[in-house]
Amino acid sequence: MHRSAPYLPFRRFVSCVLLLLCVFAGDLRAQLANPYDYPVLSHLAHQRLRDSLKKSWSVPAAFKDKETQKKFREFWEGRTEFVVNAIENKDFIEEQELHAFIDGIVSQICAANKDLIPQKPVLLIDRSASVNAYSVGGHLIAVNLGLITFARSREEIALVIAHELSHDILDHAGRSMRERAEWLTSDEYKKSLNEVLDSRYERFTRLKKVLEGYTFSRTRHNRYHEGEADSLAVVLLKKGKIAFDPACFLRLDSSDMQYQRPLAQPVKAYFTALGLPFEDSWARKATKGLSARNFNFNKGKENADSLKTHPDCKDRYTRTLPWSTVSGPLTPVPASVQAKASKIILWNLFDNQSLTACLYRLLQERDSGNNDAWYTFMMHNVFFGLFYSDNELNRFNVVKIRPKEDVAPSYFELQTMLEQMPRESLEQYYRHFGAQAFWQELPADARGLKPLYATLLQKEGTPKEREAAARTFKMAHPKSMYCEFAEHFSK
Amino acid sequence: MKRTLPVFVCLLLCTIVSRAQSKVFREVSSEISSQMKLITQDEALIGYLMFTQLEKVNADSFNYQVSIMDENLNDIGKLHFKDKNLELRSVSFEQDVLCLGYVKSDLADLKNTSMKKIRQAMDEGGNAVFTQLINLKGEIIHTASIRVDLKLKEELAYVKNARPSAVAGRLKHDLVVKNIPGKGFMAFYGDEEKNRLFAFDISGKELWSKNIPDAQAFAMLTTASDVYVLSKRKMEMVEGGYEVRGFAVSDGAAHDKYELKDRNGSQLKVLGFEIDPTTGKPIITGSIIDPVRGNSFYTVTALSKGPYDGVFTVALNGPRRADIKETFSYWSDGSKAPEISASGLLGDNHAYPRFSSTIRDFKGNTYFVGNSYIRKAKVGSIVASILLSPTVIFPIFIAAGGYNKGKAVDAVLLRQDSAGRLRFENAIEGQSSRFYAAKMDLSYYGFKSFYTVSNPATQSNFLIVDDFGKTIIYNVTTRRVVRTVPAREGSVSTAIFPAKQGHIMVVENNRRERYTKLSIEAL
Repeated sequence: MHRSAPYLPFRRFVSCVLLLLCVFAGDLRAQLANPYDYPVLSHLAHQRLRDSLKKSWSVPAAFKDKETQKKFREFWEGRTEFVVNAIENKDFIEEQELHAFIDGIVSQICAANKDLIPQKPVLLIDRSASVNAYSVGGHLIAVNLGLITFARSREEIALVIAHELSHDILDHAGRSMRERAEWLTSDEYKKSLNEVLDSRYERFTRLKKVLEGYTFSRTRHNRYHEGEADSLAVVLLKKGKIAFDPACFLRLDSSDMQYQRPLAQPVKAYFTALGLPFEDSWARKATKGLSARNFNFNKGKENADSLKTHPDCKDRYTRTLPWSTVSGPLTPVPASVQAKASKIILWNLFDNQSLTACLYRLLQERDSGNNDAWYTFMMHNVFFGLFYSDNELNRFNVVKIRPKEDVAPSYFELQTMLEQMPRESLEQYYRHFGAQAFWQELPADARGLKPLYATLLQKEGTPKEREAAARTFKMAHPKSMYCEFAEHFSK
Repeated sequence: MKRTLPVFVCLLLCTIVSRAQSKVFREVSSEISSQMKLITQDEALIGYLMFTQLEKVNADSFNYQVSIMDENLNDIGKLHFKDKNLELRSVSFEQDVLCLGYVKSDLADLKNTSMKKIRQAMDEGGNAVFTQLINLKGEIIHTASIRVDLKLKEELAYVKNARPSAVAGRLKHDLVVKNIPGKGFMAFYGDEEKNRLFAFDISGKELWSKNIPDAQAFAMLTTASDVYVLSKRKMEMVEGGYEVRGFAVSDGAAHDKYELKDRNGSQLKVLGFEIDPTTGKPIITGSIIDPVRGNSFYTVTALSKGPYDGVFTVALNGPRRADIKETFSYWSDGSKAPEISASGLLGDNHAYPRFSSTIRDFKGNTYFVGNSYIRKAKVGSIVASILLSPTVIFPIFIAAGGYNKGKAVDAVLLRQDSAGRLRFENAIEGQSSRFYAAKMDLSYYGFKSFYTVSNPATQSNFLIVDDFGKTIIYNVTTRRVVRTVPAREGSVSTAIFPAKQGHIMVVENNRRERYTKLSIEAL
């Protein structure tokens, strides 16, 4: 011990150097990474799947009757076309971390249920923000990013996946197509349509009844299918040793309430905290209009409720409560997975020109303490989008006005603000964000959007100049996720 | 999980079902007709209403659907009802009640009825003005019918096959329904027998009614305390003959009748009849017709001779004649209008204006807006006539074409302040027409159309100039063009219309990609 004493200063020196190196390395790491790269979008990542679907999803001979088989073929091919178009429209994303997380759940369930699932289905991650997953049949299931951000536990996601796998196992999509083909070519259906033509009066009502009768029947079937899928999902989870918590059904009841959840602070506070001017009048409805009145046309809503394809969530909870296998705490979804999913949704909302929704989610992220440079960068993008759209006489469409009845008062306030704030203030906001220090933390491609935005905002700019700027960006950053935005102008 | 069978199934179903049963859908949809109407309150647009005749339910009745949208075109709700053949004419809103005014007819089937029978049915009556009150729950809370004597639509012979359910007749003066702030509604119509003005509250109870003497045309304006009916009768000065009748909303007591003439007895041509945003009282604005040259205004040559002597603003401040404030400004009054010649030539752009619209701003100024025309000598024709004068015949031919030519140039604005002082406000640069013979009718030159948008929140007024190939949006308050929108760029054509207060509706149609995009934009 004593002999080693003379080396202590040297050790300290080494420690200091290591510490400095760590800090330096930490600084390097502080350069934020983008949530994903452009090549993981489905039009590139799922090219092989797209091509193989056309071949592998060949229409089975389900009916002897030619007409019914023809109709069945139409549905079958329509399904293929739907998936192929969705792949080409970049609806899906093959981001490694997200895919690995969801695939882990699918693999666990499939491995434990080989008798029911001999072939593991194709998994797609849909970029949609809606809390949903779906099975289209043909051993293909899709999980929305909205579900990943909404879920509180791995088990919650597993339940939804097990439910979709059950639909796939029970071939509900195929059955549905067959039933529809049968019905639409049935004598009964044709007779009811002919009766519409033969009738002198109330033709519209009669036609509506024929279609509604069919829709209600389909809805009834669907509800039955959902019950079946719930029951089988519980079995799949049990075998897969994944806890089943019926309370998840109750949570699903609130899944469409993202924009009904109020912000923690008044809208004004978020902007003034960023050093931006804010006038109260922006967030107050200035114009007269029926949107400010309290209409209550109930009939439509009652009808919509009766057309729901799923049973009531409370009923599902009550029915499955005895099968609960929750014995301890549930496994949380990794924070990095949820953050990534959330960022992808935010970018998607921006790129799809849903700017109020995008900004509202950004403010909600701030409420949750997520305010790294990338979120501020997205706020800049939102105000760029608004300013650009205002120049193009398109602000209304990017604000996407929702009725006050459908959203939280703070969402309505934000929407009113974005609708009413003067264009000079929009520009001021955009320029303010553009001059902040957070840009230093962003990767080169995010910074590379700045000159592109500047070109797009030039009032005298020609479409060719815009196209050239977009191409320049794509050439400079071919793998950047932001190429998706540049593509709108480079085509 | 909430929607396991995904959206594509529904889409697919609609597509395939509609393709397979296209004949049924085609036949059923051919019987459906829709009318879009604006919902207004206090002269402001507050929403939209789609009235759809869905189907015939028996020999003389139809099923209807009313869809109500707010000022952002978001759906508020729908209601259905059954009634005889209806044609929606006017919609208004007051105290959470919508009032719909229709023309109703007992005759439902024009397609299978001969013209003789249609005429007979028209003579037998069975037509009515029908009002319907709807509350915010989508309930019809009151209906009322008043029998009227309709005039057979002239175009019926041509459209009877295309529109089997159109109402066969029309009112002589169309039905107008407007709200009375805080009280209810006021309706006006004129049939072959009489012109009727009647007030009713939001429960539908009639408060009073008046018969108005017949005239060529009518317009109505309501305030919280009074209702005014502007009428135009036929007279020697074709653009004159206006008079205003006012009534107290409370009991229908008549105000002093006001005949629109200047102090010299010259007739006045009305361009605007609206509520003054500064006082909340009605104002009438327009041009003063020259008693000698006033009937000659169809050509540039006629305009250059001065068919109008000036402009006016009349404020209807109360029931008595003495309450009415008249402001007349004449071209010939040099102290008031140094830039305007006695014949109306605007000094700044050397053009003759023909005003067609007015704007009342939030500071008590009236702006007169119109097309302007320049007139020049046809030098070539004059020289040719001189050179060819020995031939006699050629100068006669040349003279027949005239020695002057005219051209439509910029839109112009003239401002009249509250004291009657005139100022040439601005010329809004736009597309000029080609030169035509100055004797040719002004319709050959084409017209710029004008719409106005006001924003009470920012107290600003905008003028929308629908020009040839573009729409220009001009801020009257700052005297600047704020936007110029090309009417067509590639396969995209864009049209602009006024929308809710302070906003415009941009309708973009892409012919190549086959979509129409609507956008309601703030100004």
